Amino acid sequence: MENRFDVIVVGAGNAGLVAAATTAKNGLNTLLLEKHNLPGGCATSFCRGRFEFEPSLHELASVGTAEHPDTVYKIFDGLGAKIDWRYEHNMFRAIVKGEGGYDVTLKSGVETFCDSMEQAVPGCRDSVHALFDLVQKCNDALAYITKMKGKPNGLTMMLKHGDFMRAASHSVEDVMKALGIPEKARDIICTYWGYLGVPTDELNAMHFLNMLNTYVVDGAAMPYKRSHELSLSLAKVILDSGGQVWYNSEVTKFLYDDAGAVCGVVVNGRELYANEVISNVIPHNVFNMSDQKKIPETDLKLANAREFGISVATVYLGMDCTMEELGIDDYTVFVMGDANPRKQYENRDKDGIYIVNCLNKVIPDSSPEGTCTLFFTIPIFGSDLPDDLKPEGYKKYKNEIAYKYIDDYEKLTGISIRPHIEEISVATPVTFARYLGTPEGTIYGYMLSGWDNLLSRISCEKDEYTIPGLSFCGGHAFRGDGYSSAYVTGDTVGKRVVKRAKGAK
Amino acid sequence: MSKPNLRALSKMDFLKVVPTRKQKIGEAAAKPLPPLNAYKANELAAALHPKCQHLKVEEVLDRTADVRSYILTADAGNGTEKPAYFSAGQYLSITLNIGDSVITRPYSLSSSPKESLEGRYMLTVKRTEGGLASHFILDTWGAGTKVLASAPLGEFTYEPLRDAGHIVGLAGGSGITPFRSLAKAIADGDEDADLTLLYGCRSEADAVFQDEFREIAASCDRFRLVNVLSDEPAEGCEKGFITADLIKKYAPAGEEYSVFICGPQAMYDFVDKELASLGLRRKFIRHELFGEYRNPSKDAAYPGAAADDFELTVRMCDEVTKMRCSVDETLLVAMERNGIAAPSRCRSGSCGWCHSRLISGDVYVPASVDGRRMADMDYGYVHPCCTFPLSDIVLDVPPAQP
Repeated sequence: MENRFDVIVVGAGNAGLVAAATTAKNGLNTLLLEKHNLPGGCATSFCRGRFEFEPSLHELASVGTAEHPDTVYKIFDGLGAKIDWRYEHNMFRAIVKGEGGYDVTLKSGVETFCDSMEQAVPGCRDSVHALFDLVQKCNDALAYITKMKGKPNGLTMMLKHGDFMRAASHSVEDVMKALGIPEKARDIICTYWGYLGVPTDELNAMHFLNMLNTYVVDGAAMPYKRSHELSLSLAKVILDSGGQVWYNSEVTKFLYDDAGAVCGVVVNGRELYANEVISNVIPHNVFNMSDQKKIPETDLKLANAREFGISVATVYLGMDCTMEELGIDDYTVFVMGDANPRKQYENRDKDGIYIVNCLNKVIPDSSPEGTCTLFFTIPIFGSDLPDDLKPEGYKKYKNEIAYKYIDDYEKLTGISIRPHIEEISVATPVTFARYLGTPEGTIYGYMLSGWDNLLSRISCEKDEYTIPGLSFCGGHAFRGDGYSSAYVTGDTVGKRVVKRAKGAK
Repeated sequence: MSKPNLRALSKMDFLKVVPTRKQKIGEAAAKPLPPLNAYKANELAAALHPKCQHLKVEEVLDRTADVRSYILTADAGNGTEKPAYFSAGQYLSITLNIGDSVITRPYSLSSSPKESLEGRYMLTVKRTEGGLASHFILDTWGAGTKVLASAPLGEFTYEPLRDAGHIVGLAGGSGITPFRSLAKAIADGDEDADLTLLYGCRSEADAVFQDEFREIAASCDRFRLVNVLSDEPAEGCEKGFITADLIKKYAPAGEEYSVFICGPQAMYDFVDKELASLGLRRKFIRHELFGEYRNPSKDAAYPGAAADDFELTVRMCDEVTKMRCSVDETLLVAMERNGIAAPSRCRSGSCGWCHSRLISGDVYVPASVDGRRMADMDYGYVHPCCTFPLSDIVLDVPPAQP
């Protein structure tokens, strides 16, 4: 039996799959280890009755089309992973309840988006449009920085890329206020904070604008056969390239050599060795599976300094009637108790914000004829779980969450949901803790806020997590959370490992 | 209105991004990180869904000539502190080492969730003709026997947002076990529903849990039991089978009700036809697992096989084992017969725990138990528990856990 590989990738989440596919495709002897019996982590699917549910993906950003491929499209295409992409061109409908509330639907395309904003908040068009001009300035600056191999000339930056420097070092709210965007317009655009789990007064503006821009310009994409299609397609690349994927194979220990480099792992009671280990597993867990003496002090301090990202409660409903019969006409609806993102965040387990998706709007035959599915998402932290919640109270807790949001949505829209529920499944941070094994069931790794924002992560990436032989990829890594960011880190880390391996040869 | 511009914001803040980060990290403690179970979500996940449960038989109760109940408690010596809580209607997948074979069997928990808090589970096993596992259990399990079980599993549970508040339970033979759990959960106040249970068996002597059911019914007016005897009349019992008329007779008048069915395949076939005439909505009819699929060659859709058995090559991580697999046994059973510890839980095609990759070969998967995900079909994955060989097969199977 072979105990030595060029590369061992730990965890077959989005980033682990892309990293392993990249190293395998480039001829490196690659072993991908996954503790579950399926690939994908969050990117999977599950069946209840006659329904196959999408468990996590709302909208995949940065995909683009065959004619105008964006980052994610290029990664899949470059690996030869075929996906049947389906597109959604409406951005979202945002409903704010109560006095001063609104009900606005935004469409994609920069000009159409600005038109729908102008309609919702007369007089805001120019200032909103300036956001997209700013995105262009940021892209120009990033292209320059890349051209200079990450070492831009300070004077050029100051003279030519000042607005980038401003956007990259201030919050979404600060930037939008400076651009003169009226409060109501800010609130509507900032609805998207729910996808990043960080309220817009501490969310990095460049980061948010980048996401906003990809959704507005390209719309969003979904795989036809749930995220399970994405993950199996990537697993196929690994297998076709001679790599191996072992499921039900949980790594229990990271092995270090005398020089302090990671040289292998323990899995299924066996020691396996590799020149490079790539971890899709969050650093917290890796460090807990390591000899504590081998962890550099700065890495341990970084882990201690960080806060965990958000998790979610989700309600999956299989309905015994169509979306038309229900009277649903939107793929994504955000419902908020208050227009202000900070208040939505602070009231997240009360009347803050929730999202309702109906996949049949994008993929009409995503459920059997005469049916549809609904997917409620409520952003909450694992630490928001009630202190006194015990196993015997858990079913009741889940049903109370489901009841509360279904009831709220019924009252708000007049849509009758409960009589048509044929299948129901409710997930909470406990569910994500179970399946992902992340601390507090975080789905987004570390909180991308304040000092730990996207720009600071990218700027310091090379100085952090310095253990030789070990690289990290995934939502907890330098590009932050979400499917597309995870794919990008898997791609980046995979390519770096390939480059090092080729250099060594 | 002035043109939008960002001058109000200092671009010099950009230069502070890296130093701020370094300062924050520098100020943090270099202490060891807490273990996962220090976090509430992880602690709960581990309590609700342990990777496995080490149990031991505390007591054996004779029920009828061929049915026994086993009271199981946690085997702390092997690392299980207490039995995991569950929802009435769930099952345990039990791993059995019989000769050279390693097999699993799903058994519904017949104890109530509340009893698990008191430290015990109950499984009730009926000796089935030609059965491997039931004979093994009834013949070898006694006080002190160590039992390896999964966490509680399964979806045959009452869901208040989905189901009607009144459940009409249809139990056939050993399909009674989850209903004991549900009846007790209702009496304990752990489930907010009414249960009318129609229990089909041959004779009164075959009916189990009778004293307990009477006791529950006496203390809780939300539960009612009706024995339906096929072979002999008895006082206070219905004679015959569970027909549409009988269901109508006992179902609540003028209100919606959910039908929960648990029993052998023959009972599902019969009852489903009866239910069709009642015009119930699909969402109000729920079946427990269908159990192992047998006699595939009798299906109209069965394409036929060129031989009686084929070579099955199993790749598990980097170990390769070759064996014979008969056309009328599933790939899972062939692996178990040959001592391969392959993963399995529901053995009915639905839970997906045995998910494996078909590297080569042709197979038959009966449509009624094909619980695969859509993309599985495109990428050649199968559930070996309900997959039959039609040619030589090469299969990539993950190892069983633990």
